[in-house]
Amino acid sequence: MTRDRAQRPAGIEMRITCPHCGPRDLAEFYYWGDATRTMPELGSKDEAAWLSHVYNRPNPRGRHSEHWQHLGGCRAYLMVERDTATHEIFSVIFARDTAREATK
Amino acid sequence: MSDHASPLGADFKPGQFGNVARGIGVRLSEPQYGYLGELAAFAGSGEAILKLVRNAAGQPGAVSFPIAANRWFLAGQEGMDEPVKAKLKPSDGTLIDLSHGRTCLRISGPKVEWVLSKLYAIDFGLTAFATGTGLSTTHHAIFTQIYRHDGETFDLFVFRSLARSFWHSVQRAAEETGFEVV
Amino acid sequence: MSFHRIDPSGKGKRPVSFIFDGTRVTGYEGDTLAAALLASGQMVMGRSFKYHRPRGAFAPGSAEPNALVTLLRGKFREPNLRATEVEIFEGMRAESQNRFPSLNIDIGAVNGLAGKLLSAGFYYKTFMGPGIGPLRSTKFWMLAERFIRRAAGLGRAGLAPDPDRYDRINAFCDVLVIGGGDAGRTAAEAATNAGLRVILADANPPKGVDIDGAQTLSRTMVWGVYDGNTYAATERVADHKSARAPGEPRQRHWVIRARTAIHATGATERPIVFPGNDVPGVMLASMFGDLAKRGVIPDGPVAFFTNNDAAYQTAADLAGSGATIAAIIDARVEVSASARALADLCNAEIHIGRAVTGSEGKSALKAVTVQQFDAATGEISGEPVSVQCSTVAVSGGWSPSIQLASQAGGNPQWSEPLQAFLPPEPAPGQDFHVCGSAAGVFGRDEAKADANRAAGIAVAKLSGKKLKVAPRPDCYHAYFAAPVHEIRGTKKSQKAFVDFQHDVTAADIRLAALEGFSSPEHMKRYTTLGMATEQGRNSAIPALAILGGEQGRSIAETGTTRFRPPASGVSFGVLAAERYGDLQPGRLTPMHDWHLANGATLYAAGLWHRPMIYGRAGETIEQAYVREARAVRMGVGIFDVSTLGKIDIQGPDSAKFLDRVYTNMFSNLAVGKARYGLMLREDGLVMDDGTTWRIGDIHFLMTTTTANAGKVMQHLDYCLDCLWPDLKVHLTSVTDQWAGAAVGGPFARKVLENCVEGAQVDNDAVPFMGIVHGTIADKPVMICRLSFSGELAYEVYSGAGHGQQVWDALMGAGKPFNITPYGLEALGTLRIEKGHVTGAEIDGRTTAHDLHLEWMLSKKKPFIGQAMMNRPGMTDENRLSLVGIISTSGKPVSGGSHIVDEDELTEPADSLGHVTAACYSPALEKYIALALVKNGKSRIGTIAYVTAPLTGQHLPVEIVDCHMFDPEGRRMHV
Repeated sequence: MTRDRAQRPAGIEMRITCPHCGPRDLAEFYYWGDATRTMPELGSKDEAAWLSHVYNRPNPRGRHSEHWQHLGGCRAYLMVERDTATHEIFSVIFARDTAREATK
Repeated sequence: MSDHASPLGADFKPGQFGNVARGIGVRLSEPQYGYLGELAAFAGSGEAILKLVRNAAGQPGAVSFPIAANRWFLAGQEGMDEPVKAKLKPSDGTLIDLSHGRTCLRISGPKVEWVLSKLYAIDFGLTAFATGTGLSTTHHAIFTQIYRHDGETFDLFVFRSLARSFWHSVQRAAEETGFEVV
Repeated sequence: MSFHRIDPSGKGKRPVSFIFDGTRVTGYEGDTLAAALLASGQMVMGRSFKYHRPRGAFAPGSAEPNALVTLLRGKFREPNLRATEVEIFEGMRAESQNRFPSLNIDIGAVNGLAGKLLSAGFYYKTFMGPGIGPLRSTKFWMLAERFIRRAAGLGRAGLAPDPDRYDRINAFCDVLVIGGGDAGRTAAEAATNAGLRVILADANPPKGVDIDGAQTLSRTMVWGVYDGNTYAATERVADHKSARAPGEPRQRHWVIRARTAIHATGATERPIVFPGNDVPGVMLASMFGDLAKRGVIPDGPVAFFTNNDAAYQTAADLAGSGATIAAIIDARVEVSASARALADLCNAEIHIGRAVTGSEGKSALKAVTVQQFDAATGEISGEPVSVQCSTVAVSGGWSPSIQLASQAGGNPQWSEPLQAFLPPEPAPGQDFHVCGSAAGVFGRDEAKADANRAAGIAVAKLSGKKLKVAPRPDCYHAYFAAPVHEIRGTKKSQKAFVDFQHDVTAADIRLAALEGFSSPEHMKRYTTLGMATEQGRNSAIPALAILGGEQGRSIAETGTTRFRPPASGVSFGVLAAERYGDLQPGRLTPMHDWHLANGATLYAAGLWHRPMIYGRAGETIEQAYVREARAVRMGVGIFDVSTLGKIDIQGPDSAKFLDRVYTNMFSNLAVGKARYGLMLREDGLVMDDGTTWRIGDIHFLMTTTTANAGKVMQHLDYCLDCLWPDLKVHLTSVTDQWAGAAVGGPFARKVLENCVEGAQVDNDAVPFMGIVHGTIADKPVMICRLSFSGELAYEVYSGAGHGQQVWDALMGAGKPFNITPYGLEALGTLRIEKGHVTGAEIDGRTTAHDLHLEWMLSKKKPFIGQAMMNRPGMTDENRLSLVGIISTSGKPVSGGSHIVDEDELTEPADSLGHVTAACYSPALEKYIALALVKNGKSRIGTIAYVTAPLTGQHLPVEIVDCHMFDPEGRRMHV
């Protein structure tokens, strides 16, 4: 219903276009970090996978996917794809949607 | 009528304050909703829950608005939640009573958009923020759910523990235009 | 007097009286401070930064480099305001700056004699070089700095608090038009007429005619451009007023989010640098225009010095106002017919192919020296001729004001005909259009046409229509300037200043180039050129021309420095705006007023205001908390636990969810029971603890520590959104929904028996960790038998709006048992005695083992943190672990002290750990503490020392088990 807002070109932003709330100031968002890792299954004994998950963060110059929580709004975790060098934002979607895809 | 003690205590002082020489810019009040709550749908049950939201909002004096994806805020008379509870399937969603946990402050008057613009980075223009809609936002550490009743009237729902501090911020912002506490 | 008013009565304007440097001056409404001072005969308005040379007003508006003043409001000082911008008002008090003892006599001017000493890089070379000799050490620099900082500088900030208030406001629009000149107003009108939401920001006072449908912000300076077309501006709401209306801010900070912007920021005239160019009376030609607009014109003859035609129009206008034009000195070899016609109009002799090579007069100009000048080579020749004049109007051409465009764009483009930089294209993601003279389109009609064109583009873009872009109108050739930026004197010539504010001369720039600071960015930092309030508006282009000239490069090749916000001075007050005094809001519990009325001293815990002690007359803090803690152990106490984080957890998968986030099992918890839970972070360290209550089959109430409530909620949100999106669980913060009162002590059950209706509270009905629902004072309550104090205790929860009534009823029911309210200090004491952990021990570095909570780590199910918690470093026996400490000397131990083996500290020793919390224990009648100590268990029963070298404390202590009081927990199970 509100999904179409997120598909608008977001541009370089001091504002992030939340798929539910629309464009909001950066101050409403909490930076959570890299969203390209997947947590191993709980109970997994794969130590290397756990170490990598907990401590290794890719830190690219350029296009990157990150989790931001819209803490001062709908509280949803968002998957924000943006350019770390220019701040250009390419897409913003609910993290829940990608997480659900991944678990299927 | 609600028997809840107001969090504003003695800091709620009726009267006219600030620059009232050229009239009253905004009126501030603490409306007493008998029920405040949130109704939320699990994935795939949005339509079913929305039906319940519409039923609840159809009651006299009730308002509802989405505050997050699949989550609605409800405000109305005491007992507003009864018909919802009766029809709500646990596998569809959840209802949570926040009647004590949130405080409503009402702000209305010709300068309402001006005063609110000092507090929130939200576009309060009528085309951007239509009558009968609401949203969630933040004034510094104060999380707020805002509902627009009409062109000049907004309800601000804040956490009860922050209400008194926020009350002072709102009054300070309104001093310039003159305000009346009613 | 060198200036006078055309009409001394001010044409019906009201006179305005103000104080400048202690003297009463009368101006007229609409005057700038500079205009009023010049009209009253005050030519010197400031002393220069390094050499303390007398300086007068030079440029209109914010470009003014010399006439900086301090305004006084009560005891509050606002320094470094441009006299050319300040609007006078009745009763205003202004002071000149950087002079001692007065403007006209300044002992600092002796610096001028030592000019060689203070050339570019002087400070670095003299004081920061290698330490050879007494004059070249850092120590000497530190000493000298104090004096240099006092002698060199601009205004002085005061110490008095600012009496004014400031405001911040958010705005949204389709088009933000910046600049209220012809171009700006035209663009704003066009965009408004096309149905767009327009804000017009104009740095000047209102023009009197509003644009219907647009929001016009007058006296509003846009100074910053940020990502996504976000603009920052300052509105001077009441700077020009003698008094404030109630609640009226002095200034307002605007944050404007525009879909697009039109920059109609205009252009500023720039000087030609020549020897002796800083004598008061040498001003930009446009400054004469600004003064004439206000009815202030020069008394004596004016000499014009120009490299372009535009100055001729200014000369003609000035002559029309009644001024005498002594001569027009033009550096070019050819002058257009129209310029000649204008010169004839003002009866001015034109000196073609000539330049000003010096000035006569120290604090007032008497004459200028004129010589032959070859614009192609820059060579000066021939006999100097003296031209008598009392002022010089200089014009080196016009530079578009591209500061904002540069902030939001790429590199500015050099225009050879204009001898100026044109605005850059917007950077990716930014959207703006520059029009009028800001885009190099001069002339009123041309600028208006250009503004209509810019508005047309903006409208088409925003409405998604096809663009039909008309070609840009031709530039107005009168503004084309010859490439003459500096008249280079001989060795004997006077100083030629490029940056008046920082006293940077042409010679300084050459020195910088000679020493290898060849990039403009390096030269700027080495000489400090363009780094004061005028931000290079006057100095940038001459400086680039000189720098490039030294290296045989053109200005286009040399390039320019990048502009950054703010484009003009901004007060700290307006940036802080409403965030004054207490910066954070206060969170108050439902019983807040009761606490205050009953003698509580409050303590800020995060945002919460919590009772620390309920002190009685004559009690020390220690006496108060010891009395309160003893009451809990001996009788009964009551404590406000409303601040505990509370999260409502509902949904079919709630129990499954809790099993994953807690280390211990919750799916087997019976309805109507609570359980203590421990949460780990992904890396295996402890995150938080608390009790969670099973209210219904799929309904839980989780409590968190007060401090971590927000963090835990965010963590749980993350788990549901990003890790396990298929779990049907909803979370809601209900911290504020519930008022909580902990009733603890041997008589706690008796208190509840006295007031609870509709439920039994005996040991069978409410066993340890049992939950029961009933009413107190007719209000519904939920009671859980939990104990943090180690006594028989209950937490009584009611709706927050009923909290005070329930609290009152509990106090009434407890009266026969002398129920005692207790605060955080007593709570801390009780938990230290029991060895219960809080945030002081859960400090982000401790594991469950460190805190002896390994019994809570389930082996039957996986949970967050499990995979990482048993890594070798996490289970090392030498890790810091929790112990108790008893002071054997009878003296108090302080929190944060380190623990060492040495009985005396003569030199630094290895720390064995640190004290996390300390108190006097009424139960043990000793000073005790909790501590994290290396291999703590193995040290139990040994003696160590707590040391705090800063306070000189060094005390023997016995290390004991952390459960210091009632280790079997008998008291809470009765």
